[in-house]
Amino acid sequence: MIYRNLKFALNSAWQSFWRNLAVSMAAVVSITLILILAGVNLLVGHAFSQVLDSFRAKVSEISINVADDTPLQTVYDFQQQLSLDPRVTNVKFVTKEEALTQFKADPSNVVLAQQIDGNPLDAKLEVRVTNLSDVAAIDTLARRWPGVDPTDPTNYQGDFVNRMLGLSQWLGLAGVGLLAILVVVSIVIVMNTIRTAVYHRRKEIEVMKLVGATEWFVRGPFVLEGVMTGLIAAAFALALLVIAYQPAVDRFRSDIAFIPLSYDPAFVVSLARDLLLGGALLGALGSYIGVRRYVKL
Amino acid sequence: MVLTPDFDTRPVISFQHVWKTYPTGTEALRDVNLVVPEGDFVFLVGPSGAGKSTLVRLLIREEKPSKGKIFVEGVELGRMKRRQLPHYRRKVGLVFQDFKLLPNLTVYENVAFALRVHGEDETKIQGRVAEALDTVGLSGKNQTYPANLSGGEQQRVAIARALVHAPRFIIADEPTGNLDPATAWEIMQLFLRINARGATVVMATHNREIVDLLRRRVVAIDAGQVARDDRSGRYHDDLSKPQIRAQ
Repeated sequence: MIYRNLKFALNSAWQSFWRNLAVSMAAVVSITLILILAGVNLLVGHAFSQVLDSFRAKVSEISINVADDTPLQTVYDFQQQLSLDPRVTNVKFVTKEEALTQFKADPSNVVLAQQIDGNPLDAKLEVRVTNLSDVAAIDTLARRWPGVDPTDPTNYQGDFVNRMLGLSQWLGLAGVGLLAILVVVSIVIVMNTIRTAVYHRRKEIEVMKLVGATEWFVRGPFVLEGVMTGLIAAAFALALLVIAYQPAVDRFRSDIAFIPLSYDPAFVVSLARDLLLGGALLGALGSYIGVRRYVKL
Repeated sequence: MVLTPDFDTRPVISFQHVWKTYPTGTEALRDVNLVVPEGDFVFLVGPSGAGKSTLVRLLIREEKPSKGKIFVEGVELGRMKRRQLPHYRRKVGLVFQDFKLLPNLTVYENVAFALRVHGEDETKIQGRVAEALDTVGLSGKNQTYPANLSGGEQQRVAIARALVHAPRFIIADEPTGNLDPATAWEIMQLFLRINARGATVVMATHNREIVDLLRRRVVAIDAGQVARDDRSGRYHDDLSKPQIRAQ
């Protein structure tokens, strides 16, 4: 019986979609546009998180400069203390000699390296911190350590990190806010489509009610029609986004080379999943609210 | 064989002090008391706006009474939950003046529709639709669309649809209202046959000739009240009319 009812609902939904093609397509186009906006929102969010991740990786590593007269045992002790700190992922001791070798190996320091006499560089402890928000605390800890070089204790750039954290939070909030607005607009569009479909099929609905159809037997096809509308719109939106994604990233990189934005094929899979699931859910939710409002026994 | 209604048996339908006032303030029914026993054939008569259609709408539970109780086979309709409604309506066969056929479905599909919404299997549907169409004399019109049928034939399809799930009683609201006298009479013969098989029939009608010819139970509704309830009545209570009395 469930199979027969499902078959009936699917047939009715499919017929209704084609019978009211103009209204159905208007809804598909509207929801496609909304899902494109949502998809762009997700892609931009993903691109920013990629960029932020690369910056994060850089700024979550702090170098603690060691004063020349600090005994090696003191440095090892402090390294041990940091290694045991749960906020720290990894600590590496770089000797003065290694620091100089690294400095000279950097092609941008070629001219400067030729002018260096002796080794003016400090030995350093390179500390990788798990959470960006803990970098400040590790910096404070390092500055209190007696072995630190008092003239140039660390390379920590507090303002930059704080701004990064702030920007990241605001972008997240703006993304969620935009998605919420898009969700509400989509639901209203699907509800109106269902209202039109209900109006077109009012005679059939009346007959169904009079011959003893259950409420969900009457409502089911409309909910499926909503899901169908959402899925078709999601497929269109996905196709357009996939086509436009790589050229958009290439264009961006050629225009603004210093921001390390990259094309991420793995994200396309999760985007497809999100859009199709989102389309189906929006369709189901909009039509569910619509039928509860417009179809009563 | 025509079943004689047994007024001593348990009633199929019972209205107990039923009032219906619409949100606009219109008082459609006022203190209606009515008992319909099993196998009865009742004509509801009265002028337009008297309350007949409200009574029918209450019976199919499209409306709830404002006051009073309506029992159908012992179940109080006013207290029936929404999820129970479909099961109740499957016990009732409904026939309307405007037929309420789906124009995009064939005769067969229109009748089968009543069973499909119940989730019946196709083999059972085929047998029962064939039987219902045979009862109304439309066996040869399976694949015809309603637009290609006469008014009388369309009403027969509607009756077949009402009968296909073997309802215990039939409610008909002006079933002959759109038909010429000869066709109306044919449709009435059909209702009589259905009643003879044991189904209780409640019919709202304006068709004076048919009511007067059949001399069945007549419940006259006037200004929302039961003005008359005759076991073997006429459309008008002629004796009360001075001009007739004078003749």
